[in-house]
Amino acid sequence: MKEFMMIFIGADYADLGLSPEELQNRMGKWFAWGNKMEEAGILRGGNALNPDMRRIVGQNRTVTDLTSAEVKEIVGGYYLVEAQDFDAVEKVAQDFPDYDLGGTVEIREIMVFDK
Amino acid sequence: MESQLIDHLFRHHSGKMVSVLTRIFGLEHLEVVEDAVQDTFIKASLIWRNNPPENPEAWLTKAAKNRVLDIFRTLKTEKKHLPNITLGTDAIAINELFLGSEIEDAQLRMIFTACHPDLDSRDRISFALKTVSGFSIKEIASALLTKEDTIKKRLSRARKSIQTSQLKFNIPQGKALPVRLESVMEVLYLIFNEGFHSNKKEKLVRKELCGEAMRLCQMLLKNEHTRSSAVYALFALMCFHSARLDAKINTDNEVLDLKEQDRNQWHFPLVELGNTMMTKAVKNAAFSCYHYEAAIAAEHLRALSFEKTNWNQILEWYEHLNALQPMPSHVLTMAVVCIQNNNLTRAKIYFDQLHPNDFAQRVYLYYGAKADYYTAIKAYKRAIKHIDLALNTVTNQLEKKYLQRKKSSLLKLEQ
Repeated sequence: MKEFMMIFIGADYADLGLSPEELQNRMGKWFAWGNKMEEAGILRGGNALNPDMRRIVGQNRTVTDLTSAEVKEIVGGYYLVEAQDFDAVEKVAQDFPDYDLGGTVEIREIMVFDK
Repeated sequence: MESQLIDHLFRHHSGKMVSVLTRIFGLEHLEVVEDAVQDTFIKASLIWRNNPPENPEAWLTKAAKNRVLDIFRTLKTEKKHLPNITLGTDAIAINELFLGSEIEDAQLRMIFTACHPDLDSRDRISFALKTVSGFSIKEIASALLTKEDTIKKRLSRARKSIQTSQLKFNIPQGKALPVRLESVMEVLYLIFNEGFHSNKKEKLVRKELCGEAMRLCQMLLKNEHTRSSAVYALFALMCFHSARLDAKINTDNEVLDLKEQDRNQWHFPLVELGNTMMTKAVKNAAFSCYHYEAAIAAEHLRALSFEKTNWNQILEWYEHLNALQPMPSHVLTMAVVCIQNNNLTRAKIYFDQLHPNDFAQRVYLYYGAKADYYTAIKAYKRAIKHIDLALNTVTNQLEKKYLQRKKSSLLKLEQ
């Protein structure tokens, strides 16, 4: 078994003007997805990220504070899952709730270093 | 991972928080309050994804309270006029405002504000749905079959009127109360009707509007100052109508009139609740329009079949209703009732009092009823002519289909 990270990009709730009702419905879908992964015993962790960010760039370590409005594709969170291969994770990622809001899931394999 | 939340928890809690926070900060800061509440829900929806709290309501309330102090600090630095809240005794006073009964009190204040006569009557519904019920602009637009821009305009106009008139955030007292209560009931009645008569495809939207109107009406009944026999009657009316909500649309999403509805689909617990409310409503001898409307709705529910409807009784209630509140639509309904009752001479008397112009965009109802009249007196050519007039003026797709079904059966009769 390998470990993969599903990285969620875009679909920032703050910018979309979602109503409380819609937010609750979306959350329900995230619950359902999380439960499904837990029941399958593949979930290894995950977090949502606040949209505020501080960016440090380059030789001069230039610092900028950014909000989601200023970043085109903001990373909103991630899940770590255990799976056979990319295809298996792709299947899991079908249930990501926010595709309809323009969201993206990026799947990356966690690199394992030889001990 | 516990994943079940109460239905509409966010929406309802949004209305509660906006009301309570408005009570603390004053109506002049309503927009800031609404933004803050929205932030709280976005935060909740992200944080709860992986880790839902054991008591979501308590979490939301606490987050809202913290948000109060956050906004307060921000506003303070902007030097806006604000009550002097510190972390001391006033903070304890704030805690008390988040207790159950105080939350309901704040929501009632918001309802009464939304129904203030200084607000344009069209703006009241939108404003109430936004602030008391936690609907988004998009949801209001979709529920009221109106453009989002129109709703935005109505909301900003309502906010402006509140500022200009410097409205107080309270429930009026003394002589002002019954007058304003009238206006509140009217708004709740309109919200309910938007839901009940809307032919929007999604059944859900209709149910939500009806449910919301009933929830707000119950709030009025819970408070001893706002409870009245008319409010009981209004609630009874809503119960009776809601009982038929599921039966109004068939599986092909077509509107069914009373005649075609499957009476087994009526929801009887709601009928019983309506009856209980009606008993309370008639304890006082002064009857309102809602009393008569509820009596009419109850009469329909009482009939075992459409054919067994007691049309004479219904006609009598309508006469009372029209005497109290003369309206062309009542007269039209009485004409329709007479057709059902085969009293065509009397139907004609009612029709003669009416003119198509009385009905504006709902004129298709008038033409439809006249078509029924001509069908009854076997003047099929004229009936078809009126169905065509109705078809030319109807905009709603479901109503249109309904009229077309009628037309094709008429064409068969004519042959």
